[in-house]
Amino acid sequence: MNSYQQNIRNFCIIAHIDHGKSTLADRIIENTGLVSHREMKEQFLDNMDLERERGITIKLQTTRLSYKAKDGNEYIFNLIDTPGHVDFTYEVSRSLAACEGAILIVDATQGVEAQTLANVYLALDENLEILPVINKIDLPSARPEDAIKEIEEVIGIEAHDAPLISAKEGIGIDELLEYIVNRVPAPKGDPEGKLKALIFDSYYDNYRGVVVYTRVFDGSIKKGDIIRLMNTKKKYEVTEVGVYSPGPVPVSKLSAGEVGYICASIKQVSDARVGDTITLDNDPASEVLPGYKKVQPMVYCGIYPAEGEKYENVRDALEKLQVNDAAFLFEPETSTALGFGFRCGFLGLLHMEIIVERLEREFDLGIITTSPSVIYKVVLNDGTEEMIQNPSNLPSPTMIDHIEEPIVKADIMIPKEYVGSIMELCQERRGKMLNMEYITENRVSLHYEMPLNEVIYDFFDALKSKTRGYGSLDYEFIRYQKSNLVKLDILLNKELVDAFSMIVHESNAYSRGRFVCEKLKEIIPPHQFEVPIQAAIGQKVIARETVKAYRKDVLAKCYGGDISRKRKLLEKQKEGKKRMRQFGSVEVPQEAFTAVLKYDDNK
Amino acid sequence: MGLYIHIPFCMKKCNYCDFLSFVGVPQEQSDAYFQTLLQEIDYFSEDYRNIYYVDTVFIGGGTPSLIDSSYISKLMDAVRTGFEVDKNAEISIETNPKTVTKDKLKEYLNLGINRLSMGAQSCDDELLRYLGRVHTTDDFIKNYISARECGFKNINIDLIFGIPGQTLAVWKYTLNQVIGLCPEHISFYSLQLEEGTKFYSMLQKGTLTETDEKLDRSMYSYAIKLLSKSGYVHYEISNAAKNGYQCRHNLKYWSMEDYLGLGLGAHSFIEGTRFSNVISLEQYVNIGKEYKYKQKKMTDESISPFSCWQHHNTKEDNISDYLITVMRKTQGIQFDDFKNRFGIGLEQLYGNVLRKYQNQGLIEISADRVYFTEKGMDLANIFLAEFV
Repeated sequence: MNSYQQNIRNFCIIAHIDHGKSTLADRIIENTGLVSHREMKEQFLDNMDLERERGITIKLQTTRLSYKAKDGNEYIFNLIDTPGHVDFTYEVSRSLAACEGAILIVDATQGVEAQTLANVYLALDENLEILPVINKIDLPSARPEDAIKEIEEVIGIEAHDAPLISAKEGIGIDELLEYIVNRVPAPKGDPEGKLKALIFDSYYDNYRGVVVYTRVFDGSIKKGDIIRLMNTKKKYEVTEVGVYSPGPVPVSKLSAGEVGYICASIKQVSDARVGDTITLDNDPASEVLPGYKKVQPMVYCGIYPAEGEKYENVRDALEKLQVNDAAFLFEPETSTALGFGFRCGFLGLLHMEIIVERLEREFDLGIITTSPSVIYKVVLNDGTEEMIQNPSNLPSPTMIDHIEEPIVKADIMIPKEYVGSIMELCQERRGKMLNMEYITENRVSLHYEMPLNEVIYDFFDALKSKTRGYGSLDYEFIRYQKSNLVKLDILLNKELVDAFSMIVHESNAYSRGRFVCEKLKEIIPPHQFEVPIQAAIGQKVIARETVKAYRKDVLAKCYGGDISRKRKLLEKQKEGKKRMRQFGSVEVPQEAFTAVLKYDDNK
Repeated sequence: MGLYIHIPFCMKKCNYCDFLSFVGVPQEQSDAYFQTLLQEIDYFSEDYRNIYYVDTVFIGGGTPSLIDSSYISKLMDAVRTGFEVDKNAEISIETNPKTVTKDKLKEYLNLGINRLSMGAQSCDDELLRYLGRVHTTDDFIKNYISARECGFKNINIDLIFGIPGQTLAVWKYTLNQVIGLCPEHISFYSLQLEEGTKFYSMLQKGTLTETDEKLDRSMYSYAIKLLSKSGYVHYEISNAAKNGYQCRHNLKYWSMEDYLGLGLGAHSFIEGTRFSNVISLEQYVNIGKEYKYKQKKMTDESISPFSCWQHHNTKEDNISDYLITVMRKTQGIQFDDFKNRFGIGLEQLYGNVLRKYQNQGLIEISADRVYFTEKGMDLANIFLAEFV
């Protein structure tokens, strides 16, 4: 080991959502003296507003800190924050690969969660040193002993000396910093070897192009180097090398064991894919770093400009988002009902919700999103296969031999009192139980095989709502499987509205059809005529509701010449009409599209 | 110019009523209120008496008949002193059967009040109780006869239909009873459940079920037919009158003519400016007491020290106001009148909209005017919302 490497500690923090990861990162930054408390925004590392609001981290941020330890030495901490959601497993695994150690936060009031476990396994896969930490010990309901026991029993790692901390109150942080120095191994690697650096994140900067976060394993990289990305096989000249502390600070070079960023006039993030290996073009490494994979979207939906919104505005915004998000795909598509729009691919439901929300809030766009769909493998009679991600594109049933759908392995952790209701939920969602294990006396882990199509249909919300928020979920794709699927169409006033079409399992078609009809009946306002709402499979109507015609919409009285009152009422009426979307002769409020997807507790 | 004077006092708040009125106001407060009304008249008279000719007066409420007639007397004196009142002016007062006596009626006539508006609402005592009215059908009929005996030649009866629990048969009975009395004018309002009323909170608690729209509309349609058969002209969505007895004051609201509203919360429309008065009794009285309004006049941007809101209509506002008010009249909008007022044809401005709703059967377009069909009167807001 080279001497400079002895004082470097590369680590990340892994935790379940809400277990205090970002708060702990804030405290670490604060206690190492980089940023004073006064200057700090809450949750320093989560710098997207959306992240701060939801309390989750979507995009990785890396910070270099300097810490003077009790042994008198000055240490460099590279704190690599990781996203904490099931949709971003691959990104998490690549950030983990950039570290030697991982702080595992376990909430003293909640114990080990599915997501914690999933991340720990990822960290163990990368041979990281796991440093368990018990957080939120200030809360009256904290049970640190139980949490330690759970870590030891469930994960199987030593936890008796885990620091007991409260990130929120700043308790135990100093001990934690010493613990990091002593427990996280210093990086190894040959600074004189051939360059091998891992891309673990990237983002787009208006002035510098794509900024690539990298961990150098061997060799070194400096300004002016011609680099080669070994998987995408692209070449660039390095224009800047630096570290974040917390803003970008250029340095002369990054050597083996160090973490920092490089700029190389890369146009979009999809050219600098997470997991790729950077080497020197004139002196390349012989093999790539392991673990690279091109991420594939798992969930698709249509995004359309709402009434009064321009197609071009939506396209421009999607392009801007894509520049920064290699996992997000989109292409133009047309819907008879909604006109010109885009089919968009996402890693999962959360990823989709985030993109949609950013379009609405950051870009201030009015958009309509259609039912999310997975990718179906459709095998035709002649043996050819088609991958279908838009229900409207499903070939005619007479041409189809069979349809296959993606199946995931779902790991669900819940307090034991909810086992019954969650097993029921999984069964409703066509889950096949693999096994069930008691993690502790009170907590159970359920393992299911489940169609992804059922998971994306608001399964997570249902799980949360049935377990009062205590349930957690992790899932991964395992295979395609033949299934009895049908296309469910919705007709308004006898006309098919393609944007409502969905592919469902035959056994669920009836209840889903009835649910959508009932929801639409609540949402579609009365018209001057009766509006029949029908759910149909092919020509067969399986559910029907009717929006009664309204017969009266008039102010009986004008109040002593008070025209402003009447005007206000009419204005409100007009405003409501603006949010409507015209389908044939029927006006549908835009919220109808999301409302039919929402899990209904009273169902 | 029309003059509206608001008397915000009632014996009891009706369950459907969200008008500005107070119950159980102490004598000294109502004294102060009338005192302030006189000040407000005084304030406007200086500027208005030489410009405007008052040809309608409407004393509304609240329940003006609740008040001792000496107050109404002082009020009318002030009106005649402060403004140029046409000798043929239509002067109306709203009354509640329970509160009217023969003496009051005689006094009203003496004051030149020549039109009586009676809040009968229904001829079914059970429904009257449900509405929270203080009178009975008997009170109303006795009162009506007294008014005739005293010499009132122009009487309006207010009715409400679409009351929860009211059947079509009960409505028919009420209408026939009232028509049998031969009033000159009948108003028939479909019950609106307004926020802040007892009925509204009952609706939210689930103890009141709104009348089915279909039933409400058959009541309305029955009323229009019966009234027409009985010699009444249906001239506004909720109003019918014998020939020559249309309410000239209310017609000003529906023809974009000037009116000045006096008193608490009253609304005015004078030469393209809308303004409305404060709605707190205390505040209103204090303005009268403390405000040296006469000196203030020339330096203040606001039209009246008693108002809390004003808006100078743009041409677009005027067109919009015109459309949403004038269409309430069954004869609708005369193309000529529109063009004379605004210098542009309605067809030119809104041709597409007119055709759209003509096709939907909401309006009829003839050579000289556009007006609501019967269906259009049921769904008027759909059409009118196009113009705000």
